[in-house]
Amino acid sequence: MSAKEKIISAIKQNKPGAKELPVIPVFNAEENTIETFKQSVKTIGGEVIELASLAEIDVWLEKKFSTAENIVSAIVSSSVTISESSSTELLEKTDVAILQGEWGVAENGAIWLPEQNMLNRALPFITQHLMLVLNIENIVTNMHVAYENISSGAYGVFIAGPSKTADIEQSLVIGAHGARSLTVVLLKRAC
Amino acid sequence: MSHSKKASIFNKDIERTTWHDETLWFVRQKRDKMAYVIPEFQQLRDLASQIKEHTLSQLDEYLLEFERNALKNGVHVHWAADAKEHNEIVLKILKKHKAKKIVKSKSMLTEECHLNPFLQQHAIKVVDTDLGERIIQLRDEAPSHIVLPAIHLKKEDVGETFHQHLNTPKGEKDPQRLTEAARQHLREKFVQADAALTGVNFAIAETGSVVVCTNEGNADLGVNLAKVHIACMGFEKIIPRFNDLSVFTRLLARSATGQPITTYTSHFTKPRPGAEMHVVIVDNGRTQQLGREDFYNSLKCIRCGACMNTCPVYRRSGGHSYNFTVPGPIGSILSPNLDLKKHSSLPFASTLCGSCTEVCPVKIDIHVQLYKWRQQIGESNALPMSKKLSMKVMSKVLASSKLFSFSGKMGRTMIKWLPYSMTHNKSVNPWAKARELPEVPEHSFREWYKQNK
Ligand code: SF4
Repeated sequence: MSAKEKIISAIKQNKPGAKELPVIPVFNAEENTIETFKQSVKTIGGEVIELASLAEIDVWLEKKFSTAENIVSAIVSSSVTISESSSTELLEKTDVAILQGEWGVAENGAIWLPEQNMLNRALPFITQHLMLVLNIENIVTNMHVAYENISSGAYGVFIAGPSKTADIEQSLVIGAHGARSLTVVLLKRAC
Repeated sequence: MSHSKKASIFNKDIERTTWHDETLWFVRQKRDKMAYVIPEFQQLRDLASQIKEHTLSQLDEYLLEFERNALKNGVHVHWAADAKEHNEIVLKILKKHKAKKIVKSKSMLTEECHLNPFLQQHAIKVVDTDLGERIIQLRDEAPSHIVLPAIHLKKEDVGETFHQHLNTPKGEKDPQRLTEAARQHLREKFVQADAALTGVNFAIAETGSVVVCTNEGNADLGVNLAKVHIACMGFEKIIPRFNDLSVFTRLLARSATGQPITTYTSHFTKPRPGAEMHVVIVDNGRTQQLGREDFYNSLKCIRCGACMNTCPVYRRSGGHSYNFTVPGPIGSILSPNLDLKKHSSLPFASTLCGSCTEVCPVKIDIHVQLYKWRQQIGESNALPMSKKLSMKVMSKVLASSKLFSFSGKMGRTMIKWLPYSMTHNKSVNPWAKARELPEVPEHSFREWYKQNK
C-alpha cells in the first residue's frame, strides 16, 4: 500500500463524526476605513504619503531616496528593466521598487500584491526599499472583504509594513531580510 | 529526564528565569491588546474552531481535493507516513536537482522529522533563515518556542554567537547591528541557494495553494530566488476554502505576537516558469491522534504559541525543559500520543489553571486534555515513582474519614513544631521551593463546626 493509501484509509477509519462548515460573515464591512488604514500602516512601521497623481512621485523620490541609483517600477519611469527572467545579480542591486498594490486592508495595514504587479517574484523582497501605490477607493475594512475581492492566482502576498524581526530579546528591528522600509503611496484619484 | 528535573536546571539562573517569565507575559499582554480591539474576536475564535472541526471530520476528502487542485497547478504532491519517509522524499527531490545548498524558513514539521541532521549526513547544507532559528542553528540548539525560537537567549548570548560565527566585534550586543550582520550573512545564502524549504501555515483544498506567514520575508526571498520550492506540512494544516483564510489571518498574528497580521502572508499556488514546487503531506502519528476521542481536536492547532506565552509553567521553566519539538501546553498534549512513557511527565507540567484554553484562537480545551492524559498515564502505570507512592498514600487517607482527621491534626501539629529546614527540605517537599507555608489554624473545620454549631 502506498503512503497515500495508508494515510487516507487510516483517516477514514479514525475521523470524528460529521460537523458543519460555518458561513463566514463579513462583519462591519461598511465602516469608514481610510483613516484607520493610515493609522494601521504607521503602527506596523510603514509610512503613508498622499498624492493627487503619480506624476508627483518624482519630487518625493528626490527628497527621500536622493542617493538611490536603481529605481525599478512598472508604473513610473524605471532606471532598470526587470522581468521574470532577470538575474539574481541584477535584482540584488535594486534600491527602490515601486509597485501597484491592489487592495489595502484598514484593520491591519496589509496590501495585496499579486504576481502580475511584481515584475519579478523576488523583487518586492530583495529590494532595499519598497513603495506600494494604492488607489484610495481600494481600501477595505477587513480581511473578509479583502478575500472576497481577490483570487489565489499563481502567487500573491499580503504585505504589511517593512520586513521586521524581534528575535533578539524581543526588541523590534526593522529590515530583517526583506525591504528596510515600506512607503504606501495613496492616490486620491484613480490613475 | 523529567520536565521538573529539566525545569530545575533552568531555574538555577533566577535572573534569567524572571526575565523569561516577564518577556513572555509581555507578549501575552500584547496579544490581549490586539485581540480585543476586534469586537468580534470571540466570534472569530468560534468560527476558526468550527472550520477546523469540520475539516477534521472530512479530512480525507479535503486532502484529496487539495492534491487534485495542486496537481492541476503543476505542483508535485508527495505523501509521507512518517518522519523517515518525509526525509527521504525531500532528499530525493534535492538529489534530482543536484541541490547542495538549501535555505529553509521556519518549519516545525522539519524539526519534528529531524530533517537538518538527516540532510547533513548526505552532504547537503541547510541554512535556517529565520533570524531566531539561525541563531540557535549556529549554537547547535533546538528551538525553545515555536514562534520565538531563541526566546531563551539574551542579546549578550547572541552577540557572542555572532562574534564567533559572523565576525561581529567582540561584545557587540545591539539588536539592530546584530540583525544587520545576519541580514548580510543570510543574503549571501539566499542568493546562492539551489532549493528553498518552507513550512506551511495553511493549505487550501479549494485552490491547491499553500500559505506561509513570516515577518522577515525569508520564505519569499528563498522561494523566489531558488529553482525548487519544497513545502512540508503536517496534514492538519488543510482548510477547505480560500475565504477561510480571512478568519485565520485575523487570528494568527494577533494571538501569536500581538501584531495585527504578519508582515508577509504569502500565497503559493503555482511555481514560476522554469521552477518547481513540491508539497510533502506528512502523517507521523497524526492519524493515531485523530482516532483518540479525547485528544483529536488538538489537531486544530495553528501553532500560534499563545498557550506557551500565557502558561505560568512554561514561562518559568523554558521550552527546552519539555524535550519535545512543540513545548508548552499544546506540546504536552501532542507528545504523549507519540510516546506515552517518554513524555509522561509533560501533562503534569501544568497548574491546570486553564489560561491556555482561554487564549487559544481555535478553542482547543487544552487544560481539560492535559487532565485526561494524566488519568490515562495513571491507568497505564506510566506515572513517575514519587507520584505513584504519594498517590497511593493519599487515596488511603482520603478513603477513611478517621485517617483523614487524624492526619490533619498531625499535620497541623507537625508544621508548628518541625524545624524550617525540614518542612522546606527541597527533596522532601518540592512545593516549598520559593514558597512559604500559610499560618496553621488551631482547629480543623470539623472541630470548629462541632464547637460552634
Ligand atoms: S494550542 Fe491553540 S494557543 Fe496553543 S499554539 Fe495551538 S492554536 Fe495556539
